[in-house]
Amino acid sequence: MSQSILSSSPYTHNNQSVRKVMLQVQIAALPALIAHIYLFGFGIAIQWMLAVATALVVEYVMLKLRGRPVLPFISDMSALITITGLVFCIPPEAPWWVIVTGSAFALTFGKHLYGGLGYNPFNPAMLGYAFLLISFPVQMTQWALPIEYTGEALNLLQSAQVIFTGQIPGLSMDMYTGATPLNEVRNGLSQGLSVQDTLNNSALSSLWGLSSWGWINVAFLLGGVWMIYSGVISWQYPVGFLGSLAAISLLFNQIDPATYPPVDFVLLTGGTMLAAFFIITDPVTASTTPRGKLIYACGIGILVYVIRNWGAFPDGIAFAILLMNIAVPLIDQYTQPRVFGHNR
Amino acid sequence: MNFFMLVVKQLSKIYPSAKRWAYRFHGGVFPRYNKSLSASQPIRPQLIPEKLILPLQQQVGLPACPIVQVGDKVKKNQLLAKPSKDPQKALSVPIHAPTSGTIIAIEEATLAHPSGLEGVCIILQPDGANQAIENALEVDGSLPKTPVELKSVLLKSGIVGMGGAGFPTYAKLPNERGRIHTLLINGAECEPFITCDDLLMQTQAEAIIKGALLTAEALGAERIICGIETNKPAAIQAMKKAAASTSVEIKEVATVYPMGGQKQLTLELTGIETPHDSHAVDIGLLMMNVATLTAIYRAVSLGDPLTSRLVTVSGLGLEKPFNMDVMIGTPFNSLAQAAKPKVKLDYPLVMGGPMMGFQVKSNEVPVLKTTNCVLANPPEPVDMQMPCIRCGECMDVCPVNLLPQQMYWYSQAHEFDKVEKLQVFDCIECGCCSYVCPSHIPLVQYYRHAKSEIKAIHAEEKAVELAKQRHEFKLARIEREKQEREARLKAKKEAVKQAAAKTEDSSEKTPAKKAAGAAAAARAAAAKRAMQKGNKPSSGSDKAMPSARLKAIEAAKKAAQNSELEAGSTASMKSSTGDAKSKARQAAQKAAQKRAQKVKAQSEPANKDAKTNLKSESSSPTKEPSAEAISLDLTQTSEATTASKKEAARKAAMQAARAAAKKRKVSSSDHQVSSDKPSGERSDNQTHQQDENSDKRQKAMEAARKRAKQRQAEKNQAADNQENT
Amino acid sequence: MIEAILIFLALAVLFGLLLGYASIRFKVEGNPEAEQIDKILPQTQCGQCGYPGCKPYAEAVANREADINQCIPGGNEVMIKISEITGLEPKAMDEAAAEPKEKEVAFINEDLCIGCVLCIKECPVDAILGATKMMHTVIEKECTGCELCVPVCPVDCIDMIPPKVTPNDWKWPEPNFLNEDDR
Repeated sequence: MSQSILSSSPYTHNNQSVRKVMLQVQIAALPALIAHIYLFGFGIAIQWMLAVATALVVEYVMLKLRGRPVLPFISDMSALITITGLVFCIPPEAPWWVIVTGSAFALTFGKHLYGGLGYNPFNPAMLGYAFLLISFPVQMTQWALPIEYTGEALNLLQSAQVIFTGQIPGLSMDMYTGATPLNEVRNGLSQGLSVQDTLNNSALSSLWGLSSWGWINVAFLLGGVWMIYSGVISWQYPVGFLGSLAAISLLFNQIDPATYPPVDFVLLTGGTMLAAFFIITDPVTASTTPRGKLIYACGIGILVYVIRNWGAFPDGIAFAILLMNIAVPLIDQYTQPRVFGHNR
Repeated sequence: MNFFMLVVKQLSKIYPSAKRWAYRFHGGVFPRYNKSLSASQPIRPQLIPEKLILPLQQQVGLPACPIVQVGDKVKKNQLLAKPSKDPQKALSVPIHAPTSGTIIAIEEATLAHPSGLEGVCIILQPDGANQAIENALEVDGSLPKTPVELKSVLLKSGIVGMGGAGFPTYAKLPNERGRIHTLLINGAECEPFITCDDLLMQTQAEAIIKGALLTAEALGAERIICGIETNKPAAIQAMKKAAASTSVEIKEVATVYPMGGQKQLTLELTGIETPHDSHAVDIGLLMMNVATLTAIYRAVSLGDPLTSRLVTVSGLGLEKPFNMDVMIGTPFNSLAQAAKPKVKLDYPLVMGGPMMGFQVKSNEVPVLKTTNCVLANPPEPVDMQMPCIRCGECMDVCPVNLLPQQMYWYSQAHEFDKVEKLQVFDCIECGCCSYVCPSHIPLVQYYRHAKSEIKAIHAEEKAVELAKQRHEFKLARIEREKQEREARLKAKKEAVKQAAAKTEDSSEKTPAKKAAGAAAAARAAAAKRAMQKGNKPSSGSDKAMPSARLKAIEAAKKAAQNSELEAGSTASMKSSTGDAKSKARQAAQKAAQKRAQKVKAQSEPANKDAKTNLKSESSSPTKEPSAEAISLDLTQTSEATTASKKEAARKAAMQAARAAAKKRKVSSSDHQVSSDKPSGERSDNQTHQQDENSDKRQKAMEAARKRAKQRQAEKNQAADNQENT
Repeated sequence: MIEAILIFLALAVLFGLLLGYASIRFKVEGNPEAEQIDKILPQTQCGQCGYPGCKPYAEAVANREADINQCIPGGNEVMIKISEITGLEPKAMDEAAAEPKEKEVAFINEDLCIGCVLCIKECPVDAILGATKMMHTVIEKECTGCELCVPVCPVDCIDMIPPKVTPNDWKWPEPNFLNEDDR
């Protein structure tokens, strides 16, 4: 060790590393993954594996092209988190090329073109998701129906058939795909049905009082709480996001229950919990000051509600996050904490 | 409070982050302490190494001046080096011999400093006898009554803050009694591995308490609070016992790094957040390390200077870590060897703890007054540095509530002005951010680098500003000199012309006075013109020039005019002939007398000017003086007052000398004023003054020569006359 | 039709007034360009630009009388800054001047000095002390490293040496970080 002059204290470390942080996030997503497989079939598992394969290839190629050491960067697991976020956003029975193009786009344009991990201004997963939503609107809205509709989830073989060939012999597409609750409410509203009517008509609350979508969200919530407990993510993100979303939906629900869905519906459908604990907590693209985190999360919550109710898309997570990503430098600038011994 | 602590303690078993609720400052980390390594061992007897290396600079400030020669035999506690210059300004402390022996060299040796640079050291070879001078400080055992008394003892004893910073203790104390209301004792010792304060409190609690009491007594402090981390139960008990019948409060504080930071512990003990722009002393608080207090006690009551200190020798690479009362100057290596290293010590030792210490360049560096620990941790494989993922961990642990990742971002991009805006100078370099960084970024080093760069940039700015001013001043001076010379020449020419014209059609009665008067008028006009000319460039180009300086310049100009007039009058004398001669002589004599008076009178206003100059500069809040104040070097500002006083005195002396010289009409040999270091704007004045002086002197010499010639001519004439008659 | 014209007329008048107000309200006094340039010049007063000092050069550049690449001690860095201030195209520096040199200060070998005061006269910042027939010395703190004193010395007793680094002005080195080539 002749570099004695160049190295500076401290000479000790708490042995935390980027890889460990990313692994913890991945572990926290496991309950949701299992719930998803149970409720929606093996589609997501196939999608996830497709995404991992794509990610490995894309990472390798991009790192080579950028002249970076491949092993340390490919093993930092950040790509894994990106594709996990993306996989949960796309329909589990979507054609295979959807997830492949999506994750390739997310990693290439969302991360590497900005200089790799730590330098990207936009959340790569959401960038990929937005790209897919705009490019393939049809495929992105054909959601597999959960077991309470189909009675039995698709098995591995059937899922693979759908994903790779686009059909299952002997089953029509409508048998296993349909609209998500968010879509249904939206469609109902456009047909003049009130929110309550739509919710009562459909057999959404079938599994112990919660829909399958609700259960997925609960699984995310579980993983998220564990991450807060172990200090992987800051409490400000979920609290700010869920708090503002709950508050604004409560307000509008009180004003007009026929047009605006109730709070529990808002919080437990779509990608709400996924976003709250796994997407907006991506530190690279989020605000970093304590107050900034709250403002950032609140902004996303409000934007999500706005887009869901008055925008063109049933779920506004992707666009809300991307919009707030743009605002991050500004938020950081104006929310610097008071330094010890300084007034302000 | 205690109940709350208990709850937190229980809660932290389930939820580790709950530990943070047990203390007041933000952030902090909970490293592996490894304190039992050395704390479980008894204090070892003192080791006398083969040689002691005593660097002349052991603390911030200027190095001491050695007063011993190579070959001298010294006794323990004998003074080896005395503080240089004015110790209060230079922050210099004396060095005493830690044991008896021979001075074998005074040479450069590697310093225990992160730079690994070399510095002058006194090398002492112990003779093993350890003969001591008892009561080397010659104290009578009485307790100091005032801070000044205490300070004089502290200065003589060479005590510096032994917690780490090494600020000379006497310089820390205020001069007035009663300015400190609370004395805080730092027994937190939050760094991993280090246990010397712990053991000191266990073994010498009495001395610490007595030292604290006598310090508080001398300063007039009302409260004494001692903070000790909860992980030192034995120390807490010993201290409580020693403080039982005194006014010292012993407070247990949470075990968290960096609890021992001065501002952190102050907040914890008093609830007061030290403002960033003031010292603890300014708000009536004074914090001292337990080791410093022991040293104070020993100096005041026994007359022992600071020659040894308790040092922890520990680390994972040592078989038998220990604590020892180590002589200042003991090489690290001999201590580490005494602790039986597990493998050969081919890796650098660390001075201080693992969080804030630094690796030394050579393991032969000596123990300093500030060395609390010699750490031997074998190098571990370092994780590769990854890009920052902005996770914010560093921000969560920063005890000063900075934004470490933004500071890192900007210092990496060399945008040091932005780093400074993020208050990098409030960073205490505790290392918490680097400790938790999942990307293994050496954040603290970035801040240290940024700090030294920013300091260099500011120094550069000052130097540039100074260079600019000095250059402008030089140009102005050259210009002015030129004009003055021209004016003088013109005046002389005119005078000669007029006088010649007058003498041509002169009758006996034609009063030379008239001629002289006319010449004087012409000269006055010329001088006026010269003055206006002289003023124009200075006031036009140098709007920036502070009014104080202008005043000084004007005063100098007036003086120049006076001497010009004089020169002129002597010139006119030359031209007047015949009967006018005697009158002229009288006039000349009168003029000389007047001149002498004037010079006398002048010397006083000049002094005043110099003084007001100073005053206006130090007090006036206008932009320019402040910019000039900035342009001064830091050390210069501290020396400024003395320097300016000296200068005023010198000016006065110079003027008096000039007056005397003129009176006697002796042209002194061109004795150049050897100037001391001119400093900043004052030096401008000074050089200016010098030039004026030499100008005047030259004129005076000329005049004197002319006068001598005249006299010669008169004599000759008189002789002729006599012959004629 | 007529309304549109009126509206645009009104708008034109309004904006004209606004602009006029702004030009009075935010008028910039003096010749700020010369001052700005003077600020970034290294103030060595070395005269290598052909002007007697930094300020005259700054004024010359501001008046477009001098090229922006004349400041030798400043090197490329200063040249680029000047080009940013003036809006002139950056110009290549001469030969070796492109990279700014490490700071050096003059040092008089006191055994050789004959006390000729030539260097004292040359020094643009009065940083040399001494008198006729007496040894001279350089005030290290005030020396700008302009090297003007070096050629005038008749006995070649002036050397340019980098100032000695002490623990007080030692700089922490920058960590060598991973993405060095990325920037």
